[in-house]
Amino acid sequence: MKLEEFMTTKIKFVDADQSLYDAIEKMVDRRIRSLIVKFPGDTANYGVITARDIVFGVLAKGINPKDIKVSEIASKPIMCIDRNTKIYDASKLMEQSDIARVFVCEGDNIIGVVSLIDIMDASLIMRARGKHVS
Amino acid sequence: MFLEKILSQGKKEQSVIESINRHIRLLCTACETFSTALKNRDANLMRNIIELEREGDFVRRNIISDIYQGAFLPYLRPELCRFVEIVDRVFDLLEDTALQYLDTEIPEQVKDECARVSFLNVRICEMLLITFDAMVKGDDLREKTLAIRIYEKKIDDIKFDLIRDIRKLPITNFWEGKILADFVSGLTTISDIIEDASDHLQIINVSMRA
Repeated sequence: MKLEEFMTTKIKFVDADQSLYDAIEKMVDRRIRSLIVKFPGDTANYGVITARDIVFGVLAKGINPKDIKVSEIASKPIMCIDRNTKIYDASKLMEQSDIARVFVCEGDNIIGVVSLIDIMDASLIMRARGKHVS
Repeated sequence: MFLEKILSQGKKEQSVIESINRHIRLLCTACETFSTALKNRDANLMRNIIELEREGDFVRRNIISDIYQGAFLPYLRPELCRFVEIVDRVFDLLEDTALQYLDTEIPEQVKDECARVSFLNVRICEMLLITFDAMVKGDDLREKTLAIRIYEKKIDDIKFDLIRDIRKLPITNFWEGKILADFVSGLTTISDIIEDASDHLQIINVSMRA
């Protein structure tokens, strides 16, 4: 089973110079846990912010998210993999790199994201399909 | 296994089981045809859904007739018929959705997500077939029905985004908007009904064990 089947194609972007509060609003409205951060310059200059970064790095410390920019807490670079990568290879990569999501890229474009919950779903489906896995 | 014994005790029962398997296989073919037609924008292929739905109707009528001619213990008959009727509802909805596709132009902005849902519909349908076969063998269905719920949840997630996205599209007349909304609704409801079918298989499975 390949990543393509389980990736989420709901990818949302935020500019690096926007306030973190703008990013939070986007995440709440779209019900998503991470945003791709676009840094100025060439098109492939991406980072990521996650709900975890926001909660632990900002909100839990009592910092006002309107006072900081997205770029201040974004992680760079993002981890990109091919759409044909097998689920278990993606899972190994996430474990080795200690990250909760990898991005599926095609050239400079990000076409999907695979999170740990997607890997769990895929594994459960593979168990259920048994010999019918394609 | 106990269930295998119940389900394969006579020729009539065996014939019904084979027909139900064929009915679900036919549905998988219809879902796959729909998905390929949508991806390749092939209106002729999409028209094949109408034929597949008719064939599905034919198989359904035979199954119900065989059941009420004496296959299976009386308490099992309505449950099996109900399952077949639920699968038939998927055929009907798939046909309606195919007709809506033929009647409208799917906007570029939502084309990829619609194709993704139609692909997941193929997968969830295959899973229903695997679940049915597992029930016949007397296997535990818990893992199979969970897989169906996972697929359904994935489609549900895409559905909310699709609805949000189509709201932003400029619509020039009422019917254009209505057909597009009905198409998206049909496409994303197929998995709900397949989930109902799988829940019903679980009920049959439990009632046979009781």
